[in-house]
Parts: sequence; C-alpha cells; structure tokens
Amino acid sequence: MNAVSPAARQNLSVAITGSGGSGAVTTGLILLKAAASTGFYGLMTRSAGPQIRGGESAAMLRFGPERVDCMDDRFDLLLGIDWLNVDRFVDEIPLGPDSLVVGNAAAGDVPEILAAGGARVRSFDFNALAAGVKGGRANMVALGILGSACGLPPAAMEAGVRSVLAEKGDAVVTSSLTCVMAGYDQDMVSVTVAPAPREERGNRWDISGNEACGLGALRGGIRFVAAYPITPASEMLEWMAPRLELLGGSLLQAEDELASVNMIIGASFGGVPSLTATSGPGLSLMVEGMGLAVASETPAVVVDVMRGGPSTGIPTKSEQSDLNLALYGFHGDAPHLVLAPVSIADGAFTTQWAVYLAEHLQTIAIVLSDQALGQSRSVTDEPREPANLLVRRTEHSPVDDYHRYAISDDGISAMTAPGTPGGMYTADGLEHNEKGTPSSMALDHELQMAKRLRKIESFDFGSDWAEIRGEGPLCIVTWGSVSGAVFEAVDRLAATGVDVRVLALRLLAPLRRDALGTALEGVGQLWVVEQNHSGQLYHYLQGAGVLPAGSRSVARPGPLPLRPGEVVDVILDDAGTGEDK
Amino acid sequence: MTVSALKAKDYKSGIKPVWCPGCGHFSVLAAATKALAYLGLPKEQVAVISGIGCSSRLPAYIDSYGFHGVHGRALPVAAGLKAARPDLTVIVAGGDGDGFSIGGNHFLHACRRNMDMTYIVMDNKVYGMTKGQASPTTDPEWSASKMTPHGTGVRRFLPAAIALAAGASFIARGFAGDPSGLTKLLVEAIEHPGFAFLEVLSPCQTFRPEQKDWKNQVHPMGAHPSGDAVEAARAIQADDGMALGVLYADRLPVWQPAYEPRDSLEAIEKEFRV
Amino acid sequence: MTEMTTQPITSLAEFLAHALELEVESAERYRELADSMEVHNNPDVAELFRKLAGYGDSHAQEVKDRAADVLLPTIPPWDFKWSCPEGPESPCMEDAHYMMTKCQALELALHNEVRGRDFYTQVAAASPDDEVSRVAAEMAAEEDTHVQMLRKWFKREACDIQEVQEDLDPPNIPE
Repeated sequence: MNAVSPAARQNLSVAITGSGGSGAVTTGLILLKAAASTGFYGLMTRSAGPQIRGGESAAMLRFGPERVDCMDDRFDLLLGIDWLNVDRFVDEIPLGPDSLVVGNAAAGDVPEILAAGGARVRSFDFNALAAGVKGGRANMVALGILGSACGLPPAAMEAGVRSVLAEKGDAVVTSSLTCVMAGYDQDMVSVTVAPAPREERGNRWDISGNEACGLGALRGGIRFVAAYPITPASEMLEWMAPRLELLGGSLLQAEDELASVNMIIGASFGGVPSLTATSGPGLSLMVEGMGLAVASETPAVVVDVMRGGPSTGIPTKSEQSDLNLALYGFHGDAPHLVLAPVSIADGAFTTQWAVYLAEHLQTIAIVLSDQALGQSRSVTDEPREPANLLVRRTEHSPVDDYHRYAISDDGISAMTAPGTPGGMYTADGLEHNEKGTPSSMALDHELQMAKRLRKIESFDFGSDWAEIRGEGPLCIVTWGSVSGAVFEAVDRLAATGVDVRVLALRLLAPLRRDALGTALEGVGQLWVVEQNHSGQLYHYLQGAGVLPAGSRSVARPGPLPLRPGEVVDVILDDAGTGEDK
Repeated sequence: MTVSALKAKDYKSGIKPVWCPGCGHFSVLAAATKALAYLGLPKEQVAVISGIGCSSRLPAYIDSYGFHGVHGRALPVAAGLKAARPDLTVIVAGGDGDGFSIGGNHFLHACRRNMDMTYIVMDNKVYGMTKGQASPTTDPEWSASKMTPHGTGVRRFLPAAIALAAGASFIARGFAGDPSGLTKLLVEAIEHPGFAFLEVLSPCQTFRPEQKDWKNQVHPMGAHPSGDAVEAARAIQADDGMALGVLYADRLPVWQPAYEPRDSLEAIEKEFRV
Repeated sequence: MTEMTTQPITSLAEFLAHALELEVESAERYRELADSMEVHNNPDVAELFRKLAGYGDSHAQEVKDRAADVLLPTIPPWDFKWSCPEGPESPCMEDAHYMMTKCQALELALHNEVRGRDFYTQVAAASPDDEVSRVAAEMAAEEDTHVQMLRKWFKREACDIQEVQEDLDPPNIPE
C-alpha cells in the first residue's frame, strides 16, 4: 500500500494521445507552457510509434507548485484525440480508479483496456466543436477541455498557444484560440482539487535535458563540437550548432563517430575546449579515440544520452545500461572521469563541471545522460553553476627543452598550444617519456601510468560528487534520471515515518571511497536502485568494496520509467520483513 | 652571405629516424624540411598529424607541433585541429594502409570537405610496420605475404581516381627517388588553398625490394595539370600509376568555419527563462 | 652514371650558390646515413659516414669563405642546375643497407665524390663566364684530391666487392 506525501497529491498528471497528425505532442507542449505561465513547475515526456510522421503519439505531463523530477505512479487524466494504436502506450500511462479518461465522441468508444482499471469516462465531440471554427482543430478543443479540467486560467493557456504556435501565423493562432475557448466552455468537472501555484514564482526555466547539457557545455567554455547524428542525442547538437556560432565557435558534422571523437581531440590539441554527444552505439565506436585522449592527455568531453541497449536496442526509450562501457570500455588502464546528471536542470551543472574537470585534468570526461532526461522538457529551477572555475594548465612561455609530460606532484603537466614558440611536441597514443618521445621502457610506463592516475585520484572534487539527503540506517544509492523517482519515494516514506537516506551519485569515476565511507556511516540496509538489467552500478560498488553487507540490487531495464511507488514498495517489503535476502 | 633564415635542417627535430636505411621515407622527410624552409613557415605554426605505420613516424622527426594518433584517424584529428585553428599550417602524413584501408572513409570525406591542409600518403604498396601484408594499393597477384599467399585477388584501390571522385581539389604524385621534384610538389600542395592530396611512391626496401626498379618505371606526366575534372578523370583512369606531377588542381570551395562571435551566453540563456 | 648539367651557369654568385648547396646537402645526407647506421647498430659504417659528413661541413665552410663578399641568389630547391635526382655529391639513400660494410660505404662515397668532381669539371668547361670557369676548375681540382683520398682509403681497407651478408633473424614488428 503506497503512502502518499502531501506534495505529490498537489501534482497533476495528464496524458494526451492521438495519431495521424492530430497534434498530441503540440497539445502537450502548450499545456506545459500554460502550466509554467500559471506559476507551476512541470515535466513533459513523450512516446511515439515508429512512423516518421502520422504515427500514434502520446504526451505525458506532470505539474504542480513544487519541483517535478519524475512521473507519478498513475495518471489523473488521459485524453485521447483518437484511440488508434493506443495499446502501445498502455504500460506508460498507468490509470487507476481515481483516473479520468476523456474521449473524443467522434473517435468511438474508449477502449476497454483503458477503462478496465475502473477509471471514470467522459466524452466530447471534439471534431464537431472544431468544425464550428474556421480552420479549427480537434486538438485545440481538447486543449481547452484539459485547461478547464486542470484549473489552468484561460489567460495562461492563451499565452501558451501564442508561444508555441506563433510561427504558424496569425490565422492559426486565432482559430486555435477560438477552439481552446470552446473547450473551456464545456462542462468539465475539475479532475481533482486543482493545485494552487506558489506565491513566490522564483527563477524558473523551461528547458529540456538535451538543451541543459548543451548549455552546460557552452557555460563550461566548449567552442568546438564534432558530431554524428544519433537518437536521442541529435537535439543537443541541433541546439548547439547555431549557438556555438553565435559565441564564436563551430560545429562540424562528421562522417561517423570515429571521426567525431578524433576531431574533438584535434581541436582540443589546438587549444579549444571540445565536446561531442552521442548514444550507446556511438560511444562504442568512440572508445578507441577516448583512449587516445587519455594516453595523450588531451582534454575532451563525450556526452552519452543513454538509450535501451544492447546494440541497436530501443533507440527511443531510456535506460541506464552504458555504465559498464563508460567505466570499463577502454583497453589498457586508462583512468578517466565519468559523471551523470541527476535531473534535467542538473544536466547543465554536470556538463559544465565535466568540461572544467576534463580541461583541468587533461583527460576524457564521459557524461552519462539518458533519453528520459534528454528528450523531456521541464519547467524547473534555474540551473546552478560550479562554484570554482577550473581551467587547462597552459604553458605560454616554455623554457628550453620543454617536457610536455613532466612528472609533477599533482600529476598535471602544462600543455602548450600550437603557435607557441619553443613549445613544440608530438602528442602520442604510444607510451612516452616526459618529453613525449615514444618509449617502451618499464620506468617510463610506470611513471606515466602513475601520473595519469594520480592527477585524477588526488584531485579534490569537493562536495558535488553526490546529492545526499536524509540520514538513518536505511539508504538508497542511485544515479541519473532514476534519482527523481527515488527522491520522491523517500519523501513519501518520510511522511509515514520511514526515514531513508539517499545518495544520488554525480561523479561515478573516480570513486570517492573516503567520502562514500563517510556518507554511508551508520547504514544498516542499503539498496542500489538503477534502470538496467544486470545491476551495473550495484556490481561496480560491490567490486569496489564500499557497500555494507546485505546490500540489495534493485535493477530493472527500460523501456518503462521507474516510478516512486515501485521504489516505496521495495523498501517497505524489504525493510518490513527485516530479513536478509 | 644571404640573410639567414631557417634552413631545411633547422626543421629537423634531431630524433634519429628508425626507418630502414634505404627507405623512401627519408626523401619525404628531406622534402618536407626543404619545403617548410622554402616557405619560411615558423616552426610553431606547423602541425604534422599522423596515424599508425612507418610513414606515420614522420611528425616526431620534424621540429613542429605534431600528433601521432591511432590507425586510420589522422585526417579527422587534422580536420578538428584546422577547424579550431585555421591559422596553422596542417600537414597530414600516413601510408597506404592507414590512409586507404582503415582510413578510407575519412579520406573520402576529407576530399569532399576540402579543408585547407596537405595530405601526404607514402605509398609503398605494403604494410611495412606489421611485417609485410598486402595493402589496398598492392597488385592482386603479389603473393609474398603469408596472410594472402595467393595474392589478394582484389583489384587495387586507385587513390588518384578516388580522390578526384570524392571532390579533392589538388591531386599530385611524387616519387621518393626524385627529391627535387617531390619538394616542388610539396610546396605546391602546401600553397594550394584547399585539400591537397600528394601520393608519394616511396619504396620499401625491406618488404618490397623489387621496388628499387621504380626509378626506371616512373615518368613525368607530360600534360599540364588539368583543372577540368572530366579531363582529369580520363587521364587518371588511363594513368599507369607511375606518372609524376600534378594530376589535377582547381579552386573549389574550402570548408572552414568563420569565427564571428556576435552574441553572449546571457542572450542565449534568456530563451529558457519562464 | 647520371647526366651532367644541361644549362650553363653564368655568374660566380650562381655558381657558388650551387657549390654551397652541393656541399651542404652532401653533408646532411651523410649525417642522415651515419645516424641511420648508428640506430641500426652498424657503428663502423656510422663512423665512416660521420667522417664524410665532417668533410662535407668543412668543404661547405670553404665555399662560404669564398662567398664572403658575394651576394648569393636564393634558388628554390628544385631549380638547381643539375640533372641528378639530388645533388651530384649526395649519396642515394636507396643504396644503403643496414648491414652494409665499410667497403660498400666507401664505394658509395667514391661514386658521389666522382660525380661532384665531374660536376665542377663540366661547369668549368661549359660556362661562358671566365671567373666561373676559373673557380670551378679550382674546385674540381680540390674535389679530385677528395677522390684520391677515398681511393687510398678504399685500398687500405683491402676491399673487394662483397654481397651484403644475410640477416638470419626475421623482421620485427615494433607497433
């Protein structure tokens, strides 16, 4: 039995489905904007069939006065502009007896599978209402009905319509508004006690995960990107391309991922912070190149927007199954950085931090985002920035006989940039001596391996390595997009008097053993919660010896998102029995 | 005495090449240092990028910036560097395996992209570094490699023809046994605004000793270099692979980002504010 | 044997530029060969080539001294008026082998010095300029002393033509 926290009930979860160009996603986008206008926080995800256009699609939203970082266990309202192929979304839009299903009378009865859970059903003839307006469309009528059901003021809805449809021209905006108001006029009971927006609006942003990572990159100083399109990372690249140019940088569309990773190495060697973005299949191709960056000590950032794997997998769905590849994929011993944002807004912080770290430590930083973060839109808090600026240690006036890879206490050696007189060296993937000359001598290998490890292990990463909340003997360790559901689950548990500590890891490699030890002091029962089949984080932490005895793996793969209720159930089941399984 | 400027030997890094005595690559190194001296390029403004193989050892022997990358990926490293640093003179070096086998895809797109750089492929029609396997430019009947004891049976890769079809704007062929001619071609290639592809027939004494006879097989191209792609295509298809000179040269659009910052991060962040 | 120059050299400055390039190039090539022999563990031949490089350096210095008051033209590397692939006195890299003997090295050097001497002789004969002819003849005479020196060295080594010995080990794969 799921306990429910006060905050959660104040959120509304709404889903809209439609097919064949009915505009379900546009409806969702406008609804999100209207919610933002009203003063709410929100989250929107989407789902679709495999068709390029005209397929069945769904927009899922959740909004309310508090920050929303995951979807709820159930949807309060599902509206179908039509019901074609809606079976595809049944698992992603869970309904219950308190849910309301609104159908389009012109599209036939509400499918049995949706009503089976006991949801209430209402119908309106969207088509007839739209037909009464010149250029009127059913989805705009639906929008009005939704606005009325959710208690969103018409003025906020109008702002949303204007914002999203402006580029379609005045005629479209006008007819759309008329349809929206026709929808508001329908007799629509409020779905639930509509949430009230907060007095204090704060600095809210409307941003997607891919945009957030892109922004973090620009904030961090990235001015060169080379990339190959891949789902679900392409939007990041498309967002960055014109904006890089505005800032005096550039994006080069490469012929493949092998080229992408080597191009950013070349540009970085030239002195310009560089980045690429890809997904699992692309990251696999980039592994050799990333190893070259580590061995030659050339800074570079690779963002992996993870999707269902392995191989081609499920390109449009989220999963956290590239952790093993990011941690262990390199041949040889190649210490490097792996980071993962814990929320959409955190995509900006973590990517910016990754750029700083890669530049300063002259190595590869892999940022593990995922489809759930990347392709979701969020109305959230303004993303914060790292407190301390970190830069590349550059040698501007090299002395005679400059040694690029000189041994130093902190393991970092200054880099010259081409164009600096007297600073010439040849960067190499071959093992080398301090001067950079290839060497197969035992001492050189030992010294350089130790250098490349020391510079990373001995660095003071500060407190941003994890988001830590709560205390007590029960503890959940998690990472990435799953963190949102975990934090909400823990809030619900706290409301019933069950306190659970959470560590949402942001820095996955190197592992901060001491800090972890401190953070886990007093933990009696620990769960590692993640969205992959094999428990990759669980095994990583077990292998590192940092987990207390009896720790459990709570791992399931995509495509469905983890919901707070699931996590609550696991904790209550396990903690309730008090048995070691 | 003339005003002292950098001489060819000043461009040598002082690291002693490990190429076998008799290797054609020594000629390429000499031509490169002479070309750089002739052009008067400051050492710190030159970057030599390579992949893996005997030819790819070149950057270490030149006193300039260099990047010895992984097999087949020299061209993308060079492209990234040039995109970010258009002020540098970028020279890419590699062999026939590095460039036409594993690097084949990058070769096609580098020709297309036509960034201003020079690509020298030292073609000895063998994989020297890994003990003498056939390469894409090896004749199908050559059966001296244990890995292909009956010969590859696959027709040769034609670098000049493929470069032309892929859109390269400068295609030339030189010979290690003609150092003066090679130096001249290299200077022209570096001066050419765009992607300049210079194939250098560079005999491998160790694994293809019969290539000593190349000096009797090479011949000047004869005709003026063509700026007409169709004409050049005909000539290249009829070419025996031993004609020396500039096979094709034309001014084609060069890909290079223009860097004109005109906005700030604040302006970009505004688009997200609710 | 390579062809001699085809175009006459018409001024002292041009001639000295050629002579300087010839000696500098020769010294550089011998130095390269010496380094290469050293890297390939053939110290006897390395030493021999280094000596020859040294001679090339001092000959180059002699030419520089002669050219002290002369403004030399800058000639692009490919416009030198000799028809050999490289300078007349420069050894061909392709004739080298890591197991070559001192005798073979001397043979190579002798071949080049003869070419160098013959270059000067030919310039002396063909040049329309008296001063060029005179200086070229002087230098031809100097080169001849180098040729004689090498012949004596050759005799000292009691050389006769030898094949390069076979290396019984298979090739190595360094990368």
